[in-house]
Amino acid sequence: MLHIGHEKVPVCSGPSRRSFLQAGAAGLAGISLPNFMQLEASGAVDISKAKIKNCITLFLVGSPGHLDTWDMKPDAPEDIRGKFKPIDTNVSGIQICEHFPLMARMMDKVALIRSIHHKTGASHENGQRWMMTGHDFNANNPQPYIGSVVSRVFGPSGNLPAAIILPDKIGNTGTSTPHGQKAAHLGSAHEPFFLGGDPASKEFKVANLAPPAGQSEFRVNARRDLLSQIDNLQRRTETKTTRDFDTSYARAFNLLTSPETKKAFDFSEESDKLLDRYGRNTFGQSCLMARRLIERGSRFVTVNHFDTVFDVSCWDMHANGGNLNNTYDDFERHLCPQFDWAFTALVEDLEQRGMLDETVICVLSEFGRTPKINNKGGRDHYPSAWTNFFCGGGIQGGQVIGSTDKIGAAPHDRPILPPQILASIYTAMGIDLETTMMPGPGSRPIRFIDAEPIRELF
Amino acid sequence: MDQKYEGQPKAEISLDGQKVIRTDVTNDWGLRLQWQISRDGKVLATPAARADLSYEHPEKEPGKYEIVLQMWKYVNYKKNKEGEFTESKFIDISNKVTYSI
Repeated sequence: MLHIGHEKVPVCSGPSRRSFLQAGAAGLAGISLPNFMQLEASGAVDISKAKIKNCITLFLVGSPGHLDTWDMKPDAPEDIRGKFKPIDTNVSGIQICEHFPLMARMMDKVALIRSIHHKTGASHENGQRWMMTGHDFNANNPQPYIGSVVSRVFGPSGNLPAAIILPDKIGNTGTSTPHGQKAAHLGSAHEPFFLGGDPASKEFKVANLAPPAGQSEFRVNARRDLLSQIDNLQRRTETKTTRDFDTSYARAFNLLTSPETKKAFDFSEESDKLLDRYGRNTFGQSCLMARRLIERGSRFVTVNHFDTVFDVSCWDMHANGGNLNNTYDDFERHLCPQFDWAFTALVEDLEQRGMLDETVICVLSEFGRTPKINNKGGRDHYPSAWTNFFCGGGIQGGQVIGSTDKIGAAPHDRPILPPQILASIYTAMGIDLETTMMPGPGSRPIRFIDAEPIRELF
Repeated sequence: MDQKYEGQPKAEISLDGQKVIRTDVTNDWGLRLQWQISRDGKVLATPAARADLSYEHPEKEPGKYEIVLQMWKYVNYKKNKEGEFTESKFIDISNKVTYSI
């Protein structure tokens, strides 16, 4: 039995994931992905009603140092422990940085994972791919973004795309390799929708939604009818590419014309007080928009906190005096307060709307930062240990999972790898990784991720 | 995309004895919020103000104390050779209150 969320889908007599995999690999009739897709197309499965929880990931591009934020070592030497001090939280025994005072008051809702690490190169892009796909880089076999997987298997629950990334795609973070926010072999229909605009701006418009200049809604509809006729012709020689195109076009049209879409991106119905509570800045308003999108049918929203690490105040604290010149002052005055204000607003807002238990919030980053402060007062990339955290979605908060050694140089116990984070996200969303499959390259059904979730979270 | 900040943050502060109380901030940029405490014109301290709506400065040395609420105004991250911001700075976002000891 194949599952799409909690919906059981009879695809074959073989009940187990293993037999499904074996059969898929052997190409046996009756359980191949094309069969599954036909079943889906025939309406046997209403994917729009598949019951899974939603997910909002806040992706801290540039990556804060774990020793300066959520894994402080106040007893370490000065050039290790850094400038900031820990404060108590509302959970006895858990301390975090003094510049997250509001988060400290809701630590009972948060599960810190202090022993994340990966063993590949310390580039931003490596970390981005690990955390967005659960896989290491392989140019010949790029892996899909986690939101695209959710989009492909579960689809949207309304007219909005299932997977959306705000406010924009990740740009230059050092190398020209991918950032892990693409659909890969899942096809263009499941590419995440990039907002491409700044919701904090008064002139905010969703770049991908505005009709082309000079075209009225009537003309857009006329073009749709014409294109629909062309599509019918194309279907006579249908290939996967044309099918992807159809889906992409339909999605784009729905987005362009749907009242839900216009409403989702319109902040005018939110109170000034709530806009203030999230923070009148790009990140804060993106977090608010993430809530609005989830509320209206998107299943997986990622907020990229920064799209570059160069020449902006961001988490990449090298303090190099050049174009990577973030320092403790940026953390204290700008980054930590901004994050603390927006993250806690999101949690409070979801809770007040009764959405927190149905929405998993994950705060992710690419790596940690060097335990020893560099000679310019910054910290450099360090994938050997870092802290990320989960909240909402029924996660057991008020706990710390894993730990690092006395100077935060390596996991001390319960080492956690990025694929386990993704497995945990899927599991927190209610996806049974033992029975739910996704299409692999060549359409062979494969597991979502080859890793076990972190059981302590649930 | 650098972070954009809309509007001009503003709050009102008042005294209850030597305890200063603030309203919520309107047009809140969400950046560091701090009390600036001065005595006889000299800045003594800039404690964080985000977590609580009130604050009482512990120093009791005689003098005229002045308090104002400030928020970080991020323009860009440019810094001079000493690592100090050249364009971003703290700005006053409230009225000022004074008391004497």
